[in-house]
Amino acid sequence: MNLSCQSCGAQLVVADTLRTATCPYCAAPSVVERPPTPDRPPPTFALGFVQTPQKARELARETLLRRSFWAPSSVRNASVEELRGIYVPAWLYSALAESDFSAAIGENYTETETYTTTENGKTVTRTRQVTRTEWRPLQGRHTEYVPDVVVTASSGLPNEELEQIEPFDLRALRRYDDALVAGWISEEPSLPQEQCLQQARTEVTGLLRKRLSAFMPGDSHRNLQYSTQFHHESLVVCLLPVWVMALRHDPKSPPLHFLVNGQTGKVYGRVPVSWVKVALAVLLVLLVLGGLYLLLSPILKGM
Amino acid sequence: MASVEAQCQRCHSRLEAEDLRCPVCALPTPKPPRAAAREQARVIRCSNCGAAIAYSVEAQAPKCAFCASEMRTETQEDPIDQADRFVPFEVGTDQAHEALKTFLGKGGFFRPQDLASRAAVDSLQPLWWPGWKFDAQVEVTWTADTDAGAHRSAWAPHSGATHLELHNILVSASRGLTLAETQALSSSYDISKAKPKPEGPPGAQVELFDVTRSGARRQILSAVESTAREHIAKADLPGRRHRNLRAAVALSGLDTAHYALPAYVLAYRYGKKLYRVVVHGQDPSCVLGEKPVSWAKVAVAVLMALALVIVFLLIQAS
Repeated sequence: MNLSCQSCGAQLVVADTLRTATCPYCAAPSVVERPPTPDRPPPTFALGFVQTPQKARELARETLLRRSFWAPSSVRNASVEELRGIYVPAWLYSALAESDFSAAIGENYTETETYTTTENGKTVTRTRQVTRTEWRPLQGRHTEYVPDVVVTASSGLPNEELEQIEPFDLRALRRYDDALVAGWISEEPSLPQEQCLQQARTEVTGLLRKRLSAFMPGDSHRNLQYSTQFHHESLVVCLLPVWVMALRHDPKSPPLHFLVNGQTGKVYGRVPVSWVKVALAVLLVLLVLGGLYLLLSPILKGM
Repeated sequence: MASVEAQCQRCHSRLEAEDLRCPVCALPTPKPPRAAAREQARVIRCSNCGAAIAYSVEAQAPKCAFCASEMRTETQEDPIDQADRFVPFEVGTDQAHEALKTFLGKGGFFRPQDLASRAAVDSLQPLWWPGWKFDAQVEVTWTADTDAGAHRSAWAPHSGATHLELHNILVSASRGLTLAETQALSSSYDISKAKPKPEGPPGAQVELFDVTRSGARRQILSAVESTAREHIAKADLPGRRHRNLRAAVALSGLDTAHYALPAYVLAYRYGKKLYRVVVHGQDPSCVLGEKPVSWAKVAVAVLMALALVIVFLLIQAS
């Protein structure tokens, strides 16, 4: 797609998935406006970047060093090849969840039990207190608002990876303004709304299992089953600040991919495991065990 | 702070003008979208010098690189709201003194006899204490163990749903008065008489709210929850005893207002000690406070009880 720069009139080449562009000639940061579609509504909210690029780099390095014990030694000296601050689109979901549940509730009671035992060679009868559980069925309803569910709207950042750098502090939410993303990379939602809605509902259903478990009375419960209906659902786009980093540690292997939460600084990244190091460690342990055995076997035999 | 009357589309709770999302159910508040008719690239300009603006992570705001002016964006604000309704004093200073006299006179057996005559009033301070008033409809779903329908275990599980209409519930925000005091005072206020300006004896102080809006909402929500729980424990649970009461609340139509409520705080001296008494600002018969205990009378009573027991034992022995 070609648009002209408002500042110098040069042609801007803007990818279809991006919301922002920087003019290669005059460096003016532009924000692209497009007519909204159902799968690509204009963002409602945004969270601003709080972590500076230097801080993001430091945080990634710290995490990397902490995890570098099993990693190839080259990882220690990995250099940041690329660091980008991206506003990743996500859907912010909330709803009134009405769940009909059924479960077996365990109510404990104590009983006095008679038993026989042998004491000093004689058979005697004794009593003792035992705790037993009575299972009672319970059906009911649980209604509450589910406020802050975030699912990714970008095919570039899978939801599993986004979950690793969550939570975001939604108290700092701002109403979206073009000026908030100017000069940064901002993506357009690239996943269909329907798919994300399903994902959000699945996430809520999982969350409700915990809520319902805590909601059950009695001393224990089992066979908890529930079906949830969602009312008054709301789904809006919120832009989340994420530092995306590529770390090059070995010219031959692909760079390491790191994510840093641009607001809270939480880091996620996979560090490769060096199988040579693991094998060496296993060998060392075996050697120590063998040595101990050799040392101790004469003593053990002598006993 | 200018506030517009607005309602949440989902739960009909009252919204403040600065709210981005509903505080009860988290529904985003609407803003007319500025839809673009065709695709275009826009450069955001500084309103000060006209240079291009970009978001600055250091300033955490869009900032002009040339003139360093920052652009304000709409965010969730968290001000400390102050009372805008004052319940007027209906009890004068003299009546407050009178109420204290009556309170001290109604001693009870273990009080010193000369309490009313010898107690000297040390200070009298009329004040308005801060409190929130809320109305809400609450959909409560609950589970609990009660003794109703119990078999071998002493407990049987129950569940239910209730719709509650809460009206004019007062929650204290006062740091000066204790929770017990504010609870006892709350029930006898007539808040329909509230006025926009303070009206009362000269020198009356206004205790300010010192909780931010989000903190206030948290306190109000927990008050709604505890009110709902109390109601269920009293009215809905079968059986006589209960345990493990769990309640899930879904509010709608939450409306809160900030009130200033009148009261007199008095201190009187009896002997060498100071005692504190709170007199209601509208109802002189509502007086709370502490009174000294006459240890001589207590000792006499204990001795007499002991003597009775000994006599009783002696009779039994013989």
